[in-house]
Order: sequence, then structure tokens, then C-alpha cells
Amino acid sequence: MNHIELDGVSKTFGERVVLNDLSLGVEKAERLVLFGPSGSGKTTVLRLIAGLEVPDKGEIQIEDRIVASSGKNHVPPEKRDVGMVFQDLALWPHMTVQQNLMFGLTARRIQKREAEVRIREMLNRVGLENRMQAKPHQLSGGEQQRVALARALVSRPSILLMDEPLSSLEDERKRTIASDLLGLHSQFGFTLVYVTHDQAETDLLASRVCRMRDVQPAV
Amino acid sequence: MGRTVRAETIVLWLCVAVVAIAGLAPIAVMVFESVWQHGHFSLDHYRELISTARFWPLFGNSIRLALATTTVCGVIGVPAGILFAKSDLPLRSGLMWLLTVPFVLPPYFIALGWSRVVACVGANTSDWLFGFGGCVLVLSSVFLPIVTLLTFASASNVDGRLEEAGRLASGWPAVIRRITLPLSAPGILFSLVLAFLLAIGELSVPSFLRYPVLPVLSFTQFAASYNFGAATAAAVPLAALALVGVLVESAVLQNRVFTFRSIGRGLLIPLGRWKPFAAAIVGLLTVALVILPLSALFADAFSMSAMHNAMQRAGASVVRSVIYSAIAATILMTLGFLLAHLTRDRGQRLVNFLTLALFAIPGTVLSIGLVRLWNSPVTWFIYATPALLILGYTAQYCAVTTRLSLAGFFLIPKTFDEAARLSGASWARRLFRIFVPLSTRTLICAWLAAYILCLRDVPLALMTAPPGGDPLPARILTLMANGAPPLIASLCLIMAMASLIPLAILARVIRAQAMPA
Repeated sequence: MNHIELDGVSKTFGERVVLNDLSLGVEKAERLVLFGPSGSGKTTVLRLIAGLEVPDKGEIQIEDRIVASSGKNHVPPEKRDVGMVFQDLALWPHMTVQQNLMFGLTARRIQKREAEVRIREMLNRVGLENRMQAKPHQLSGGEQQRVALARALVSRPSILLMDEPLSSLEDERKRTIASDLLGLHSQFGFTLVYVTHDQAETDLLASRVCRMRDVQPAV
Repeated sequence: MGRTVRAETIVLWLCVAVVAIAGLAPIAVMVFESVWQHGHFSLDHYRELISTARFWPLFGNSIRLALATTTVCGVIGVPAGILFAKSDLPLRSGLMWLLTVPFVLPPYFIALGWSRVVACVGANTSDWLFGFGGCVLVLSSVFLPIVTLLTFASASNVDGRLEEAGRLASGWPAVIRRITLPLSAPGILFSLVLAFLLAIGELSVPSFLRYPVLPVLSFTQFAASYNFGAATAAAVPLAALALVGVLVESAVLQNRVFTFRSIGRGLLIPLGRWKPFAAAIVGLLTVALVILPLSALFADAFSMSAMHNAMQRAGASVVRSVIYSAIAATILMTLGFLLAHLTRDRGQRLVNFLTLALFAIPGTVLSIGLVRLWNSPVTWFIYATPALLILGYTAQYCAVTTRLSLAGFFLIPKTFDEAARLSGASWARRLFRIFVPLSTRTLICAWLAAYILCLRDVPLALMTAPPGGDPLPARILTLMANGAPPLIASLCLIMAMASLIPLAILARVIRAQAMPA
């Protein structure tokens, strides 16, 4: 049984068809890499799963629940149990690392004490326990990547979506963070959907690869 | 997303309701009453107006004055804006802010200043001032900053790489002519339309300089003859012109949003040996349009007795002006921020169109509508209190805070909101924890701009303030009839200080905003 199911999904932006009748299933705890050139609709797939875009046609299911279908989102993004690491990381610049992580936990009404424990554990896990009070601009590129990853995972989502998060890093740092990610995956068991156009990242992370071409995917 | 009504939908409709009550309803009532007489449809007011010998000459005068003012603003403002945005002109930032000063003061200040200059030179020279020429000079000084600042903003927003690519093939005059100006054209056109609309609706300057125009007729019918029907009929052509202007803006500009960037990004024209010449021209312009009339105006203001007299005669008006403007600015900042936030993805064009139409409608027209709508025993609590004036300010200047907020939102990556949404945050939480902290400077800018605009406003202050509760611009205008020059000069100085201090803060905030984080 698939954890995420896209069935006949199409999406256009104005005149441009980005996805045309895409069907795709992702099993629980799978590490699926969407691989393909720019403009092939990889990011759109992530945004559709997250609920940040609405499909024009077709249906999206998460854990057997229809979350979106033909022009309508039935479940809002915040209720889909999804974490996401954006391409530009989207760390809130006016908040410290701790506040960036705390934000989602408070929104989900996690007790303050428990939230603090979770944040400490998560930052410890990504090696940033000493950087809790730093603001994003005070961190290096690699540290920012790890904060974004920690923020996405701290609320323990069942699905983690990653949109080319390592594209700006050097190979050495990429390998370190990919290995961190694999460790976190085995610890938390989330379903990973990872977008990239980099073959090396695909080799490091994928348990299955979906190659996307213009408009139509070839699984 | 379910069928429950979401918080943001409720807040959006509340904001729309505020704009509708403050601005659209008065205009609708006014138009309705101009065609509804004794219980049935009638165009009698319009027939009467058109058949009077005065209407067409006044209408012609209004158009002539607005066209001449717009031409002068375009001829001076566009090159000045390009020079400020794209050249290494010395002191360009200071000169630009200095040229902005007449716009933040009540328009009749410059007219009053020129009348003092003329009085010093001799009585024979006053003919040119009290008439068409004087009106064009004064209104051009007042509305020049709109053209200069919007040209500056448009030219600064042109992608520097496009200009650099052009620079590889040709000299900077060709780059300015063929790349910068065409790409800035929508913004420049918008500024010219705005200058035209503001000039055609101006009341205080033509009435002080005794040049008969349509807003003066409308005001006289309203205030002196108490003939609402005729006042309304005279106001409706002005409202219609404003609407046409905004339609042109909407078609041409398509709600492009401008953000102020720091000076000197992209192409920077080295003026070389022309630098002193260009600096001298801009300096002379600043002296002629700003420093000379304002120095003459404030020359008598610095005696202790005049200042004491001014505070005695109008101290309460000063306090009222500041309080009313501060309250209106707070409402406008909140309303503009919420409207921009709620319509940044959808409905932006409609909100921009409506708010801009209200901005372009002359204050006299809006005031007549407000008085018509709220002058009834049931709504006395609004009509007889400063609430009416604050409603007027809200309608007239909502466009400014909405557009400033929208420009601020464009600087915040969309992913910040998306990340917060995925974290499970509600709309209100995202608004207060993400958008508000990241928009502090935008909010300060919006508040200051709204405060300055409300403080300098004359028609609304004159026509909608409650009895005995007039703000300073209206008080000065009343005292000008029989007050001694030192008293008027001191009051003008107090008013100028109340406007210029926030302008100085605004300049600092914008400069800080332009600096990279």
C-alpha cells in the first residue's frame, strides 16, 4: 500500500503545462528521488503533495485519504503531516535557530518543556546544539542546511519533502549532509521525496528513482 | 479546506467594508443624489450647471491648469528622477529629499511663500503670481516630487544587467534612451497621470491665487450657497476624470509594484566635466522651487511674540492635527497592511483600482459625499465628531499604505510563509510571527507616509472637521484672511516642523531599508 498516491495529476501555470496526467506512488519509509532537468515539474510535484499548489486534474492521496482532487485542496498543508526543506531553505531571518524550530511545535500545541527537549535532541542530532541562539545569517551555508532539515523534522512528520536543498553545496559537504539525512531517515522512518537534478545526490540518497522528462514522467 | 469561513476571509471582508463605508458609499450617495430629485430621476442639476455661463470656462481652466502643471512636472521631473537614480550627481540624495518638501506641506504654503517674495519685490510684480502663471508655478513645485520620485523608483527598478548589456554596445545616452526610459515608461506615465489628477482637483492654491477652477465652484456651492445638488453636480465631472485617469493607470501599469532601492545600482552615469553644471542646475531648481518661497514664508516666524501668539490662537489646532493624523495613520497602516497581505495572491488588481480611484478623487468631492452620507440625526455621532474627518483620510490615502505594504511583501520570500504553513501555523500566527516582524520598516514607512499626507490635507480638513475642531491647515487658511503675517508665518513653521520631522525619519528608514542585510 502506498503512503502517497498521485493519480492522473495535471497542472498548468497559465499557458504552460507543467504536469500532464502524472501517476505516481510512494511507499511508506521509501526514499524516492525525483530526478530530471529544470522545468520538468519536479518542484511542482513536491508542492502538490505539500498542499501549496492545487492540482487542475487528478487526485492526491496521503495514507489513503484524498487530500486534493481536481481544483480543490481537501486537507490544508498544515494538516498533511508533511515537513519540507525548501530550495532557498526559507529560514526566518528574524528568529534564532531555536525559535525557528519552536515555531511549528508551538503551532501544534506541543508542551513547552517537551518542545525544548525535542529541539535540543534534534539540534544535537544534526550537530548544532551550540548554535541554538544564533540567527540564520550568523550560520555557515552547511549549518543553515542542517537547521532547515532540523526544522522540517522536529515536529516528526511522516513525510519529508526536499527541494534541491544541497544544490549550492560543495561535494564534500553534500556527502556529510546526505549521510546525516540517511541516519535521520533510519531513526525516524519518514517517507522521503527528494528533488534533484544531480546524479551524485541521487546515487547517495535514492532507494528508488523517478526520472522526470518534460511534462511526462517515466518511472 | 472545508466549508467553514476562514479567519482571513472575514478580515478581508472587514477591510473591504471599511474602504466601502469610508470612500465608496459617500461617492455612490453623491452621484445618486445628483440625479435624484423630488423622488425621481432627474438631470436638472447637470442641465443647470452646464447652462450656467461659468461652467465651461471653469472646466476649461481646470483642464488647462492641470495640463500645464503636468507638462512642467514631466519636463523637469523625469530628467531629475533619471539623474538621481542613474548618475553620480553630487548630493543627489539630499537634493531629492529637499525637492520633496513642498509635497509634504499644505499646497498653499508655497503660494503664500511666493506672495511674500512678490510683496518684497514690489506690488507691480504681483500680476503674474495671482493668475494662471502663478498657479502653474506653485502646483508644479508641489507635484514635481511625485514625478521625480516615481521616475527615480521606476529607473532604479530596471535590472542593472539589462543596462550593462546595453552599455557593452553603446554609450550611456543611448542606454538611457533605449533601455532605461522605455522600461521605466509605465511608472513615469503613472506619475504624470497622478500629477494631472491631483492638479485638477486642487482647491486651496487656485482659490488663494484667485484663478477660477471647478473645485472652487464646487466648494463655493457647498460652503457658501449650501446648494448640495449644484455642488455635487460640479464635483461629479471631477470624479469622472479621476476614474478615467485610474483606468488609464490600470491599463498601462497593470499594478506593477515599485520598491525603493539604494541609489547607484546598475548603470551609473559618470557625469565627468558636466558634473558641476548638472549640480548647479539642480541646485538652482531647488533654490527657486523650494528654498526661496519657504524662506520668504518663514522669514517672519522666528520672533518670540509671533510664536507665542500663534500657540495661543492655534495651539489646540496643532494638537488636534497631530492626534487626528496619528489616529488616521494607525488605521491606514493596519488597513493597508491587511489589504496588501490578503490580496497579494488574488484580488490585488481590484483593491489597487478601488483604492487608487479614491486617492485620485479630489478631496472636495469626497468631502461632499461624506457630508451627504453622514449628515443625519441617526449618524450624528460620526458627522459631528472627528470620526468623519478620519473616515475621509482613510478613504483618500488607503492606496498609499496598501501599495507601500505590497512593495514590502514582494521583498519577503514566499517560502517563509509556506514553511510556516507547513509547520501548522494558523493565518493569524503567520501574520503576527512572520509577516509583521519582517515588515517593521514597511510598517514604519506606511505610518509616516500616511501621517504626513493626513497632516498636510486641506480639503478634508476644511469641509469635514467638526465645528470648533478644525486641524491646523484649515485653521491657518481661516486666519490668513485677517491674521498678521508674523502670526501666519509662525503657524506655517509649526505646521512645517510637524511634517518635516516625520519626513526626515522616513528618509532615514528608506535609506536603511535600501541597505543590504
